[in-house]
Amino acid sequence: MPKKRAEAAKSAAGLVGGRKRVLVVLFVPSVERDGATSINQDRWVDAALEMFGEVFGGATAYPKARGIWRDGERGEFLVKDEPVVIHCYTTPHDIQDPNNLAQLGDFCRTMGRETNQGEVGLVVGDEYFAMRDFVKE
Amino acid sequence: MTTHLDMDKIAKGLGAERRGKVSATGGYFGALQLLADVEARFQVPAGGGRPTDPRWTERRLVPLASETLDRLEELTARIRKHGNVSVEPMQLAGLLLERTTQQLSDEEAERVVGPRPTTQRSASQVRQRRRGAPK
Repeated sequence: MPKKRAEAAKSAAGLVGGRKRVLVVLFVPSVERDGATSINQDRWVDAALEMFGEVFGGATAYPKARGIWRDGERGEFLVKDEPVVIHCYTTPHDIQDPNNLAQLGDFCRTMGRETNQGEVGLVVGDEYFAMRDFVKE
Repeated sequence: MTTHLDMDKIAKGLGAERRGKVSATGGYFGALQLLADVEARFQVPAGGGRPTDPRWTERRLVPLASETLDRLEELTARIRKHGNVSVEPMQLAGLLLERTTQQLSDEEAERVVGPRPTTQRSASQVRQRRRGAPK
């Protein structure tokens, strides 16, 4: 098998940089920070799936869940939400690649900014990461 | 084998703040993860038949208690209902076994299966006996 094809096959099987054993979870909100203004959630779910597909090779979006978030900067106001949870399995190598992290971070910031969120939450492996500063980088 | 990730590097790369550990093995989150695992990995073989993980090429008999089999049957029934994915109890067992062996670190494995002195005999006594000291 030519080298390039062998590498592509290895990559598709998740054998480059280890197996796809790191779970990345992204929460796509249904409302803005005020808890009342709906956002175009379908559009953001589609965009997130595309981003995960391109950067990490795939993802799964689950049906709407029910969630709540306490906004500490707005008098502990409780924002009720129906987020869509997206799961993406990737390799330790891919999740630590600076370019991949930059693309994932950019997506989260864009979503946070354009949907007027207080926070965008992301779980990588067994750790929760929060983004609150959505300024373009 | 555990997954060692440089969380500071990830936080810096994302431009995000580390907020702490989450439990990714129990409750609804764990159930979703299990469902995602089944959906992501099980494929219908090229020649047809039951969906399975193509990397599973080895087959062994695994002894288990009837309660364990009952629990596996209950879990697979739920996965079929909620995830619309076809999975058999022993396929789920294979998945869980694989996940646990991957998550178990070398040190943890050593603690579980490593040699331990018996309660009747101290470790120094065991060492003395191995060196051929008088019994």
